[in-house]
Amino acid sequence: MPATQLTVNGRARTVDADTDTPLLWVLRDNLGLTGTKFGCGQGVCGACTVHLDGQAVKSCQTSLKEAAGRSVVTVEGLSKDRSHPVQKAWIAEDVAQCGYCQPGMIMTAAALLKRKAHPTDHDIDEAFADHICRCGTYPRIRKAVKRAAGGVQ
Amino acid sequence: MTSRRDFLKVTGAAGAGLVLGLHLEARPRSGETTKTAFHPNAFLTIRPDGTAQITVPKTEMGQGVRTALPLAVAEELDLDWSKVEVVTGQPGPEFKSMQTGGSTSVSTTWTPLRKAGAAAREMLKAAAAARWKVGTAQCRTERGFVLGPDGQKLGYGDLAGAAAKLPVPKDAPLKKAADYRLVGKRTPRFDGPAIVTGKAIFGLDVRRPGQRFAAVLRCAVIGGQPKAWDDAKAKAVRGVKAVVKVPTGLAVIADSTWAAFKGRDALAATTTWEEGAARDFSSSALAAKMKAALTGPADDARREGDPAKVLAAAAKVLEAEYSFPYQAHATVEPMNATTALSEGAAEMWMGSQSPNRAQERAAATLGLKPEQLKVNVALIGGGFGRRLGTDFSTEAAQVAKAAGGGPIQVVWDREDDLRHDLHHPATLHRLRAGIDGAGALAAWTHRIAGPAVLRSWTGGQKAPSQATTETNGAYDIPYAIPAVAVDFAEVEAPTPLGWWRGIQIVPNVFARECFLDEVAHALGKDPLRFRLDLLGNRGIVKFGRDKADIRRLKKVLEVAAAKAGWGRKLPAGRGLGLACHAYDGRTYAAEVAEVSVVKGRLKVHKVTCAVDCGLVVNPSGLESQVEGGIAFGLSALFSQITWEKGRTVQTGYHDFPVLRLADMPVVETHVIPSAEAPSGMGEPPVPVAIPAVLNAVFAATGKRIRKVPIEDGLI
Repeated sequence: MPATQLTVNGRARTVDADTDTPLLWVLRDNLGLTGTKFGCGQGVCGACTVHLDGQAVKSCQTSLKEAAGRSVVTVEGLSKDRSHPVQKAWIAEDVAQCGYCQPGMIMTAAALLKRKAHPTDHDIDEAFADHICRCGTYPRIRKAVKRAAGGVQ
Repeated sequence: MTSRRDFLKVTGAAGAGLVLGLHLEARPRSGETTKTAFHPNAFLTIRPDGTAQITVPKTEMGQGVRTALPLAVAEELDLDWSKVEVVTGQPGPEFKSMQTGGSTSVSTTWTPLRKAGAAAREMLKAAAAARWKVGTAQCRTERGFVLGPDGQKLGYGDLAGAAAKLPVPKDAPLKKAADYRLVGKRTPRFDGPAIVTGKAIFGLDVRRPGQRFAAVLRCAVIGGQPKAWDDAKAKAVRGVKAVVKVPTGLAVIADSTWAAFKGRDALAATTTWEEGAARDFSSSALAAKMKAALTGPADDARREGDPAKVLAAAAKVLEAEYSFPYQAHATVEPMNATTALSEGAAEMWMGSQSPNRAQERAAATLGLKPEQLKVNVALIGGGFGRRLGTDFSTEAAQVAKAAGGGPIQVVWDREDDLRHDLHHPATLHRLRAGIDGAGALAAWTHRIAGPAVLRSWTGGQKAPSQATTETNGAYDIPYAIPAVAVDFAEVEAPTPLGWWRGIQIVPNVFARECFLDEVAHALGKDPLRFRLDLLGNRGIVKFGRDKADIRRLKKVLEVAAAKAGWGRKLPAGRGLGLACHAYDGRTYAAEVAEVSVVKGRLKVHKVTCAVDCGLVVNPSGLESQVEGGIAFGLSALFSQITWEKGRTVQTGYHDFPVLRLADMPVVETHVIPSAEAPSGMGEPPVPVAIPAVLNAVFAATGKRIRKVPIEDGLI
């Protein structure tokens, strides 16, 4: 089995795993990056969201083969020092409750703001349509996205 | 009343600074034995470098105990919050009851934790006073320093060693609420920075050297067992190491989670099942039994006056049936636990709301004494009562035992988690209201039929408190009604059950508050006025094991209604609804929902909540619980677990929907200022959300919804 090469958080990585393995498990089990979470494995909860060449994707629905040769960014790689505007906004709004779904939420928020600097409520609704937070942090997620967009000082 | 036997003692050597062990025996609630009462314990360490470590005797699951509990200590001790480190305790002799549930973490630890902080503060002051040769009373503390009468200043770290040699004061004075510097201020979650960087370690994130992963192939039918299987195809999956029989099914052990899942799926294709006695169980069969139980024998939870007589003589009798389905916890982090075995000892990592029970049961599985099994309590990716169960941790121990070692992480997938949840059971409710000749509500009866959750907690036994536990929220109906009967008719079901956020109070308050709304409308009365009149001018009222202060309940109802603009004109298709409840007689919550129904689609625009939970330790945490509790309640309006052929019909979030961001209403929280001791906030916002919304649907449309989940096309 030939090893697969990809870039994760700016670093070239070689992974020896079946190429049908979901990127989620490559990150968590092969590379030890457990910030990306397993929630459903069915692509409907968003806990596993990472950036693939800058786009938010569900890593449980993305095979290693699809990620080959591409650049993956996980929550661990969003910033070196918790300085990403989304991370700062998440702390400022005290968003997290249990916190388990939040890495996925944060990756979606970061991708949304890259695509649209000042998202509307409707944009936010759509961006998070595939995410679940069972604790119900939604009002604060909305506020934090707006804060990160510069909407709340 | 059992007297408190809290005590403090210095447990650490001077070289480590001041280590204060806080041993406490909290007063049991009436009805609880000392065996079931909480026995929290906490450690406080002040290190020579001035940092402080606080060990929390409860499990963090998003409700904020790793912030709120340390705040109580830090407040009394005048710690610099930025120098506080928080760790979670480990079950064992030092932490005998870490059980985390019932919205009791703050209320049971608030006083002892403050006492510990105050004692440490006095010891540090005494150490400083001795060094400066001044009186202790001349010293004061401020953000990690002791200040002397003549401008002297020493950090706690410099004093910790000397303080550790001093006697622990028995009754160190507690601060007045007016002097609080941390308590009552918005404090962000302690774990926030770790969470937003992906560094927070949940149970599923535990990685030990040489760790393997396991998936268990379970029979979809409750209690079913594999009859025959061929493990060749599973073992042919790259990374699969072994297939072992365990009590819950067949465990596939592999070097990655994905390989374990693939191996499990390959094994499933070859497995035949002995489905067992539950194979014929279905929701429709249960519904018929519940219907029959509405008129059969039942256990009284409350009986006052002679409701039958009053109903027979009533000028008007209203009657309705309400139903609530099975529900799942659906935590986003599926069940999991990691076990490592060694000679005569073992270690586990898990997110558990019952660490002590989990330890005892897993140790028994492994043939060890509890103290031979070290249990590390990880952060919990959603609890809601699910992780009070020990099924998943015991199973993980069984897998490690069968596989002969470890470390092995047993990982449930979404379908495992939903199907083999410890579900909240369905209930059917029949309510009757008797109106007398003067138009007053003179009799109220509420029969609840369904499986008993409490049996899941008592080893299958029927506890004396079964009827009150299963009718909680119904038997303690707070309104002044001359004749009241609330009873519980148990209906057997083979499904494993467990506690769910808001417990039986959720369906019971749904039925109670919606039916009361029906009565108000039938009498042509405003639902708010009707409730306030029925609450009356009463003070503390006792209901069986609980009592509630009716004045506090009235206050939250009035505040929620006023803030929501109760009575204002709304456009067609829009409505306001309200509900209130005194949760276990400790936390008072009222919610007003504003909804619209457009083309049969329900939109909840806003929920205005007023709460009185005594003194608020962390307003940010409190508001989180209100927002989250409302989300949890609203979610249940659209979800259900149903059973066919002994198995759940639902298998994931696609058919067990959880509320999403676009459907989350605006939530406005109003706190009634209070000097009463803090009670609890994890559950109280949940039960009132459902009736508030459904009463608003009635106001908007004239349609009365008596069945959860709301069926398509019903509104």
